[in-house]
Amino acid sequence: MAISDQTIKTERLILRPFEKSDLDGVLSYYSLPDVQRYLDWKARDKSEAKAAFESMRKQTRLTRPGEVLTLAIVRKSDGKVMGHVSLRYTDSTAAQGEIRFAIGPLFRNKGYASEAVKAVVTLGFEEFRLHRVYARTAGQNEASARLLKRLGMRLEAHYREHALFQGEWDEELHFAVLDREWSRGAKVHEITRHKVA
Amino acid sequence: MSQSQPLPIPAAVLYVPRYPIETARLRLRPFNRGDVDAVYSYRSRPDVAEYLFDEPMNHEECAEAVRARTTQVAFSGEGDKILLAVERRDDSRLIGEVSLIWRSVADRQAEIGYIFHPDVHGRGYATEAACGLLAFAFADAGMHRVYARCDARNTASFRVMQRLGMRQEAHFREHAHFKGRWDEERIFAILDREWGGAQRCDGFVTITKI
Ligand SMILES: CC(C)(COP(=O)(O)OP(=O)(O)OC[C@H]1O[C@@H](n2cnc3c(N)ncnc32)[C@H](O)[C@@H]1OP(=O)(O)O)[C@@H](O)C(=O)NCCC(=O)NCCS
Ligand SMILES: CC(C)(COP(=O)(O)OP(=O)(O)OC[C@H]1O[C@@H](n2cnc3c(N)ncnc32)[C@H](O)[C@@H]1OP(=O)(O)O)[C@@H](O)C(=O)NCCC(=O)NCCS
Repeated sequence: MAISDQTIKTERLILRPFEKSDLDGVLSYYSLPDVQRYLDWKARDKSEAKAAFESMRKQTRLTRPGEVLTLAIVRKSDGKVMGHVSLRYTDSTAAQGEIRFAIGPLFRNKGYASEAVKAVVTLGFEEFRLHRVYARTAGQNEASARLLKRLGMRLEAHYREHALFQGEWDEELHFAVLDREWSRGAKVHEITRHKVA
Repeated sequence: MSQSQPLPIPAAVLYVPRYPIETARLRLRPFNRGDVDAVYSYRSRPDVAEYLFDEPMNHEECAEAVRARTTQVAFSGEGDKILLAVERRDDSRLIGEVSLIWRSVADRQAEIGYIFHPDVHGRGYATEAACGLLAFAFADAGMHRVYARCDARNTASFRVMQRLGMRQEAHFREHAHFKGRWDEERIFAILDREWGGAQRCDGFVTITKI
């Protein structure tokens, strides 16, 4: 699993590690309240978002539990950075991974997140030999719940009032899919990777 | 069994049950050193340990566990455990144990658990004892939500949760390894307002819904 640089091409997207020049694209959505929940580094303003971006840029390997691979979601047609997908390696003995994602408001409802998440879950199973990939989302995040269900993930948990989130009782959904259940679809994604010694 | 020595309660205790917690047929009380044989009689059994994280315990391990439990009697902070011996009121036999773990102070969350000697299964004792501990969790310790976890195949365990009025919130599949195979886990939970107070803790718990 010593893969340090991943580039995936799908029908309309290029998924690749963040580059320095992606900063403005990321700033356009990173600090939004509906995105913040799903990020490792909170950011209330531009300078915090910048620092967070620098940290995300370093998330390029998935060799040890706790590590995260973060890929920018770039539109093929015009090279715009629209969002990102992250895959966290949460457990090595049980080969588990958690997926998180965000798309800027300008680019929503066009199927981009679905396309990106599908590719990265497939990557998790094929390249990183995960056994199960799961996603956690807020109970009221219907867009995300519909997306995960549409991709064939199963609702495994619905916690009610399990924690306070910004002063309110929170609900959390867990979706999951096992390697043998995952439908890769007819389309085989073109995967280029660069192994490091 | 009477409590001859004062309980080893640290100074900064926030919540301590009024011992013993009494239910219709049972008494929940702190462990003491005389409990080792009774604990060994069920914790040594493979059938009891089948779905537990712990393997069957030998006598020495039981003695060690009992020693640790004698101090697990109150909540003073996150992660604290209350581990109580359950004895029958009529013959004072120690028949099992119940536990409550303070999982989150800020979010007022706790986890409940129970283990009973197979000799006394099928009589509602586990439900009754857990009811007594839930009453403490909600009414005295001010918890907002109490949850319980079990192996998905441990039907006897989640039937206790259902009898207590807990709802299934999760069924994880192959999310971890457990004793050499894929684990499936269920989580059940109940909120303070759903509990609403048990009118009476017997095997057939009657919960007031508000
Ligand atoms: C949740 C989120 C990622 C969805 O992104 P998105 O790109 O709008 O998602 P998609 O476009 O793939 O799917 C959204 C809708 O567009 C529809 N759609 C439109 N054109 C489509 C196309 N060409 N192909 C597929 N779907 C298309 C989908 O059917 C879907 O409809 P539905 O919600 O009624 O089922 C986005 O709202 C977001 O970033 N939210 C904040 C962060 C977040 O919640 N992340 C999830 C954490 S796990
Ligand atoms: C989990 C465990 C405590 C459940 O024990 P249990 O005896 O099934 O549970 P209860 O004491 O609540 O008894 C309920 C049963 O007694 C019956 N019963 C008989 N008299 C009763 C009475 N007066 N009141 C209530 N129920 C009564 C109920 O109908 C029920 O039987 P059913 O499940 O066949 O319908 C027990 O199986 C055990 O110790 N297992 C090993 C340890 C373990 O796995 N613990 C849980 C870890 S998550």
